[in-house]
Order: sequence, then C-alpha cells, then structure tokens
Amino acid sequence: MNCRECVEHLYEFLDRELTPELEREIREHLEDCPPCGEQYDFEELFLKFLRARCRTQGAPAELKKRVLRELFGE
Amino acid sequence: MANTPSPDVSPPVDEKRASFEREALVHLDVLYRVALRLSGNPSDADDLVQETMLKAYRAWDQYEKGTNAKAWLLTILRHAFINEYRRRTRHPETVDLDKIEPYAVFPEVQDEDPQGAFFDRIVDDEVLRAIDQLPVAFRETLVLSDVEGMSYQEIAGILDIPVGTVKSRLFRARQLLQGKLYDYAVEMGYIKGSPA
Ligand SMILES: [Zn+2]
Repeated sequence: MNCRECVEHLYEFLDRELTPELEREIREHLEDCPPCGEQYDFEELFLKFLRARCRTQGAPAELKKRVLRELFGE
Repeated sequence: MANTPSPDVSPPVDEKRASFEREALVHLDVLYRVALRLSGNPSDADDLVQETMLKAYRAWDQYEKGTNAKAWLLTILRHAFINEYRRRTRHPETVDLDKIEPYAVFPEVQDEDPQGAFFDRIVDDEVLRAIDQLPVAFRETLVLSDVEGMSYQEIAGILDIPVGTVKSRLFRARQLLQGKLYDYAVEMGYIKGSPA
C-alpha cells in the first residue's frame, strides 16, 4: 500500500465500504504514515461537518399536516 | 339501513394506515431534505414530498413490510422529481460530468490549516448553497450519502446506477464541494489560502 493508493481509497475507508483485507491495509498504512493520517483526519472532519450542517432542517409542520390530511382526510 | 359490520375481519384500512405511519411517515424529514436539495425551493419540495407520499400509500401493498422503506420512498421521490423536471425543463442540465476536474483541497491547506478549522466558520446556509451548485448527478449522490447516511448499495438502487459509479461520483462530488467551500473561506478571509 503506497500513499497514492491509500488516498484513492480514503473515502471508501471512511464510508466503511471496503473489503476487510483492504480496510486492514489502509488502517496499517494510516498508522505508519503521518501525512496520510493527517489527510484522513481532515476528510473525516469534513464529512462530520457536512452532516452536521445539513441535517438541522426537517419537514415543516404544515407539510406534515398536509400529508396527513391528503392521505387520511384529517 | 341495517348496518352489519363483519365481525371477524379486522379493519384493513386502519392496519394499512398504522403500518404506513410506522414505516413510511417516520421518514418525512429525510424525504423533505432530499426533495429540497433536488428541487431547490421549499414549495416544490413540499409538492414533491406530497406526491411521493400519495404514490407510496397507493402502492403500499407492493412494499414488503419491514425491509427498507427509506430507500423505497426515496426511489419513488426521485422518479417523481425526474418526471416533473423533464416536463418542466426543455433544456435539461447538459453538464459533461467527466469534464469536471475537481482539485484536492487538502494539499492546499495542509500547511496552514491541516485540521480544517476553517470549515467550522462556514454556516449552514453557505454549505447548502454550495451543495445546490453541484450538478444534479453529483448533488443527489452526495446528499444521499453524506447527509442521509445511505450505503453505496442503497444509493445505487435508488439512482439506478452501478456501485462503481456511486463511488466515483461521490469522490468527485466531495472534492468539488470542498473546493467551493475552500474558495468561499478564502474569499471571506477564514483562511489565507495559497497564492494563485
Ligand atoms: Zn501515506
């Protein structure tokens, strides 16, 4: 596992979408390679940031009422 | 006049309603967020969710209870969006996704802000605005994954594309979005950035 391969698979690693073998190879590389480790931290933080910023909004109460009214005549 | 209820048959409508509330209506927030990112405005998002719920309720017998209602509903929502979008737009988005060349942000900030502290200063609205500027194929993939936490397999099913395509779109969508947010942060002075 070299740095280029590691960075290429970084998102899949973060998304828990790799095979166990590849996942282990990446984890080992990250432990041994500070620059890739830093990039891992950066990308992880970015994904957490994204989720936090984009999930604050939910369906408006008015829409909920409208759906219920339309479906069940309430 | 005689009102003769059938005593042994449990009311199917109530059952249908109960299971729909339990498995489908609980995903209203997810559907609304995705609809809002797809359609770009609250009023179209409302209509899209409403239409999705009506279609879903009508087709509820075809849904295998206890499986993946969220993915099933999102598939309906996306079809409704595409139909509406095609009907309204005579000139659909003609972005050549392969020509978009995102650049990696991390090497740019590695020295000045490797921990990405500049992200913390960017507020919700700016992030959403940046997402809305992504080509729709990137936007929907990113929203399903990074906002709603769906797996590659689930996204592939919803968007009807191979898992490999999900992977590559997600990679480029994230890089593109990071690039936009980084440019914004530089513009706002949240980060100095490297001289061009
Ligand atoms: Zn490395």
